[in-house]
Amino acid sequence: MLSESIQSELGEIVGNEHLLTSPEALICYSYDGTFHESLPEAVILPADTAEIAQVLELCNRQRIPVIPRGMASGLAAATVPVDGGLILNTVRLNRLLEIDKANMMATVQAGIITSDLQLEVEKLGLFYPPDPSSVRHSTIGGNIACNAGGPRCLKYGITGDYVMALEVVLADGRILRTGGKAIKNVTGYDLVSLFTGSEGTLGVITEATLKLIALPEAKRTAQAIFPRLEDASKSVNAVLWGGIVPATLELMDETAINAVEDYMQLGLPRDAEAILIIETDGDPADAARDMDVVARICSEGGASEVRIAKTPAESDELWRARRSISGSLGRKRPNKLGEDISVPRSAIPDTIRGIKEISQNRNLPIVIFGHAGDGNLHPNILFDKNDPEEWQRVQAAVADLFGLAVAVGGTLSGEHGVGTLKKPFLESDVGPVAIDVMRSVRHALDPHGILNPGKIFD
Amino acid sequence: MNVKITSPSEFQSAEIVTDRQNPACIRCGLCLATCPVYRTTLRETDSPRGKIALLNAVADDRLEVGQEFSERYYGCLLCGACATICPSGVPLEEIIQAARDDMSLHKLEPERLAQLGRIIAEHHNISGEDNAHRLLWTANMEDEPMALKPRETADVVYFVGCVGSFFPRSYRLPQTMVQLLEKADIDHAVLGGEEWCCGYPLLINGELDQASELIQHNLEAIKSMNPEKVVFTCPSCLHIWNHVYRSVAGEELPFELLHATQLLADLVDAGKLRFRELPAQRVTYHDPCDLGRKEKIFDAPRRVLQAIPGVELVEMRDNRANSHCCGGGGNLETFNAELSYAISDLRLGQAQEVEAKVIASACQQCERTLTEAARRNRVRIRVLDVAELALQALEE
Repeated sequence: MLSESIQSELGEIVGNEHLLTSPEALICYSYDGTFHESLPEAVILPADTAEIAQVLELCNRQRIPVIPRGMASGLAAATVPVDGGLILNTVRLNRLLEIDKANMMATVQAGIITSDLQLEVEKLGLFYPPDPSSVRHSTIGGNIACNAGGPRCLKYGITGDYVMALEVVLADGRILRTGGKAIKNVTGYDLVSLFTGSEGTLGVITEATLKLIALPEAKRTAQAIFPRLEDASKSVNAVLWGGIVPATLELMDETAINAVEDYMQLGLPRDAEAILIIETDGDPADAARDMDVVARICSEGGASEVRIAKTPAESDELWRARRSISGSLGRKRPNKLGEDISVPRSAIPDTIRGIKEISQNRNLPIVIFGHAGDGNLHPNILFDKNDPEEWQRVQAAVADLFGLAVAVGGTLSGEHGVGTLKKPFLESDVGPVAIDVMRSVRHALDPHGILNPGKIFD
Repeated sequence: MNVKITSPSEFQSAEIVTDRQNPACIRCGLCLATCPVYRTTLRETDSPRGKIALLNAVADDRLEVGQEFSERYYGCLLCGACATICPSGVPLEEIIQAARDDMSLHKLEPERLAQLGRIIAEHHNISGEDNAHRLLWTANMEDEPMALKPRETADVVYFVGCVGSFFPRSYRLPQTMVQLLEKADIDHAVLGGEEWCCGYPLLINGELDQASELIQHNLEAIKSMNPEKVVFTCPSCLHIWNHVYRSVAGEELPFELLHATQLLADLVDAGKLRFRELPAQRVTYHDPCDLGRKEKIFDAPRRVLQAIPGVELVEMRDNRANSHCCGGGGNLETFNAELSYAISDLRLGQAQEVEAKVIASACQQCERTLTEAARRNRVRIRVLDVAELALQALEE
């Protein structure tokens, strides 16, 4: 527990009602979207940047670990304490500060929920494309700290591609403002990129200016069923070779198809090796024409069936299979470990075959789905964490998965980040020199190691 | 006072959460997106995911149940939005209700709610007035309604509910309803002092035992009228009749249970209610949680509204199964009025966002909370029941 005097100092900064220390509060801030949990010593919910600066100044002086947290939808245990400390929750900083129509940019506080921002800018015909599946229950601050992705990233890029400027509170309480609205900016180091994806280890993001684009007028959705995975993979390449970049290109392999069928009975073909869900967008004519080409390429490439939605309701129906995956997992086993390895697109068939072998060798159900266009796969290992022997096998399977990803020329994480869960495997991917450089940067910005200690690397 | 739970079986809700037969919470956090309480307080402790985490901690003997735990479970609207969005299918409504039952059993129910329970048990209504005054709403009507005629039986019994009977600002709804029934030429009756509280507030506080006397009484009172249909303007009364009365009766009820909007939609379809044109107005429909999400009645009220010429129906951001509670659910207002008001303000904001001039609902509780929200925020937006708009369109 934090000492009484520190608690009272913290309470003075934010107001006592925004400092939580009850056993109930500590339990509720001990987890994220994974199965990991570990209690913090206190939870603080500051109202603004100035309060956060004071909190960090105090924690730096007193060497108290600070774990920045948004809505804790993360999938790498990056906001789960490792050894107590103070959870610094940024959800109260949730204002939309400005929509600059002329420059097509929005400035927001870190705690705004990403879909709330999207709804507001879409009213003006503008578009903020990044769409992590947690878009309705995650904050921009968290998205930037983890450099979140999502299905639309194939065409539109990831969160980091939209961050123009940041306000960050540093470990010692200083406030850094970096970047701006100038599209071209090579004045000094690119600090915006440095903090993007830093998982709360370099500073606390409090405000961001984000690039927006024009909202596409129309979209088309199709579902293509492939008896053979190889054909699905080749069709994806053929579509992209054809000059068409679909807004989304989602893949469900036969493990995911069967998991969904077990629980939803949507009538999906259980013997198909892959289903692609493809969305084109743009002006109505472009979206329709692109979809015609996509459908033709899939049919010629070995799809047994291509269904194109004619109405938004039909489009919803086609997405249902994909959207039901996560729900079907919790019904199979009590716990899941969702990985997000990212491999070169051409390696998808080999990778999926490899994952199936791991599943067999380790005797664990692994459900595979992901973003076929960018090679980002989500193998989800299903297990029961109360069974220690099974947990051993899960850890072995994770090591196998990461080994496989690196062996085919890929990487551990496409969008979830490293956090606690992937920390042991980081060096095998990036190598010792990269870790050394990262450690130097971290030490320069946080010499006392108070910011999210124990995450990414030690 | 803290209660140490030594075995989950002492705490039924902990048993449901840890039962391997039930889908487990995978902590995805999707419920945070729709929980009106979380969206207002921004506290994980108020989120459905947090509530489950607390119960897991109780089951694992990591947490003693005390006042704060109790407050988290009573600081809930029982709106069911979390259960609807949960991709894993965690039985959240069942768990939250069971936790309230447990709290009541272990005497951890907040005093204000216990007091409400005592009032209902003694007076058979939520206001504490003499239950014989249930027909005060008829006192200032121009013509005495036919519903008051003494009679042995009726085709339709109209179950008015406590809010319409005892809250003067809600009298308009039963007044409207009996006029509509008369205009449609339906043989109907109300029970007056023989109508007792349906038991809903007791049940959701966790006081199931006390509710059973009320339920038995109402079942007998209505059976004695030998009706074909019982119609409700209060969705909560309807919900409890549909789900609890049936099982208490232990047999199929010998009459049909209908919400007023279902009856009105049927009358419109049958040509028994013909609407004249109202001045053009932009109307949004607010789905009450107990009528929409819980009774799956989404279309009937919309059909009535769309049958009224001049009404332009627009949908709010959260509608139908994803509707946002008005703030009046779960006895939250009795327990924490400030929080309830903040949630009402959010819903009012959604109506303003679609530039509605009228919020139509089908629940006197929603109407009351949203009307107060409009007054508090000085927003010029009228809040009416679908039945009230229907009556206006008959009289224009």
